[in-house]
Amino acid sequence: MDTGFLRVLFNPGRFFEARMQGEPSLKVPALIALVIGVIGAISAAFSANVTISAFPADMQAFGSIGVAFAVVGGIIGGFFTWVAFGIVFYLVSMLFVGDGDLKRTLEFTGYGLLPQVFGGIIGAIFSYQLISNLTLSTASRPEDIAVVVEALTNAMLADPLTKIIGIVSILFLIWSANIWVFGMKYARNLSTRNALLTVGIPVGLYILINLVTLTGLV
Amino acid sequence: MKPLYLVILSLLCVIAALTGPASAGPADITVISSSLDPQVLMKGDTGTLTIVIQNNGAETVAIRSARLYGSGVVPLSEPYPSVGELGAGNIKTFTFTVRADGGEGTFYPQFVLDFRDGAGSLRYPVPVQVENTPLSASVIKKPDTFAESRTADITVRVGNPRPNNASGVQVIPQGTGFTATPTGGFIGALAPDASGTVTFNLTPTAETDVTFQVVWRNGINTHTADLVLPVAFGEDKKQADPVITNVEVKSESGGYRIVGDVMNVGLESARSVLVTPGPPATPTDPFRVYVVGTLDSDDISSFEVTFKADRGVTEIPLVVEYRDENGNRYTATTMVDLGGTAAAPRSEQSGEFPVAGLIVVVLVALGVGGAIYYSWKRT
Repeated sequence: MDTGFLRVLFNPGRFFEARMQGEPSLKVPALIALVIGVIGAISAAFSANVTISAFPADMQAFGSIGVAFAVVGGIIGGFFTWVAFGIVFYLVSMLFVGDGDLKRTLEFTGYGLLPQVFGGIIGAIFSYQLISNLTLSTASRPEDIAVVVEALTNAMLADPLTKIIGIVSILFLIWSANIWVFGMKYARNLSTRNALLTVGIPVGLYILINLVTLTGLV
Repeated sequence: MKPLYLVILSLLCVIAALTGPASAGPADITVISSSLDPQVLMKGDTGTLTIVIQNNGAETVAIRSARLYGSGVVPLSEPYPSVGELGAGNIKTFTFTVRADGGEGTFYPQFVLDFRDGAGSLRYPVPVQVENTPLSASVIKKPDTFAESRTADITVRVGNPRPNNASGVQVIPQGTGFTATPTGGFIGALAPDASGTVTFNLTPTAETDVTFQVVWRNGINTHTADLVLPVAFGEDKKQADPVITNVEVKSESGGYRIVGDVMNVGLESARSVLVTPGPPATPTDPFRVYVVGTLDSDDISSFEVTFKADRGVTEIPLVVEYRDENGNRYTATTMVDLGGTAAAPRSEQSGEFPVAGLIVVVLVALGVGGAIYYSWKRT
């Protein structure tokens, strides 16, 4: 684990310190975001396929279009997550007088997404198991599609496996946040305390929202 | 010569006067009564013919034999070969067994008494009536329609159109595909033009013909007459008719929940009403079956059932089970559309916490915690 970008998982401080010696490069972070996007796309495609199977027979033809949208959306979602977190960290770190360019911030944010690859794989497996256990009746009329989708959503939220997926996702996000703390410390030249706040505030809010959704308080 | 003729004539008169009582016997024997048991025979019947004679004279009459012969009604018993003497004023009874071999009508078998000493014989035709009219049976009460396993009251009336009594009258239902209580009805003796009734609780299990066999005795002779009652199933116009309305299908984790109303639009009460989802649905707790109880005519009650169904099932039957006042069980089925009302997500593992998932969470938590700890330790 001492060589390559995988070192960021267990020794992010030394890894980012070493990366600061060279020019910022977004190739590896982009590759990580792409892998996350592909994993998300596979999960989304499977969910879309199951949902479309409940549509009326004359609307099944739209199934491939729906799956395609899900795949594209999943891939874009990987990149969106990367860029969104990077920008948020960049903006928040400005409050602590951070110093460093956006490209470096995006680079380190991308490396910090590496745990999400593992989290995405585990989440996809659980999602497959969850959706496989769901049973949908076919909507006989187009106007019932919304009801079917709503029922599917309710069923998924009610399944204990959904909570498991959520908890696993939060755990891997905490791992990413830990990496991001070191990343922002070097990318934005922050103290450890300020780096913790830069990452902890948005990630903490994100986790809080997820927990509230999972527990059904909202 | 005239006085001589007078003497001869006088002697003849004296002789005639002296011998007169002995030769006057047969004329004094008369048949005073005859009877037949049973009073009226049917073709093939055996009866007992009783003939009573009386000596109305002042002297004893010697009788050699008595016999009966004829056609249509023939004697079965032996004649009386040696009767003996019958004193003045005495009565003697002769009994013959006879059988009606001919058709209907009145027959006159001859009763013959032969006197001794060449005194001649007495012939007396005895009237015997033969009539084949059987007892008549009719169903005077039955339901409008029959239903499988539903008990119906059947009342059979038996009348006696014959001119004589019928004894030991009973009615026995015969056939297959039904049960009857009692298994036979006894009426007893029926006088001419009288009737008797017997009621059966008939429970058919299949469409069939029920034969009510009327059995009676005419004297010692047993006769039967059949009354056939066709049992065809149909819909009772008054029977309870539960109808399901106001159905609402709700999907929930692990299956469906159907709420609705059940109303009895029949004229009779529906008892022990149960509502349950039928195959392909699988009833689940908490409402595998909903017990409504008794629904009188025009009564309404709400119900609620929970069940799960396989993927692709778009409609399931709701089965209303009820009984009538006799305890007969009925079912009414209403199909409920699932696909048109709601989606039906179902989790096979609903209610069971995924242990494997929990283990993964713990392992991930340990791994992430270790990675974070390690990363700070190396700093």
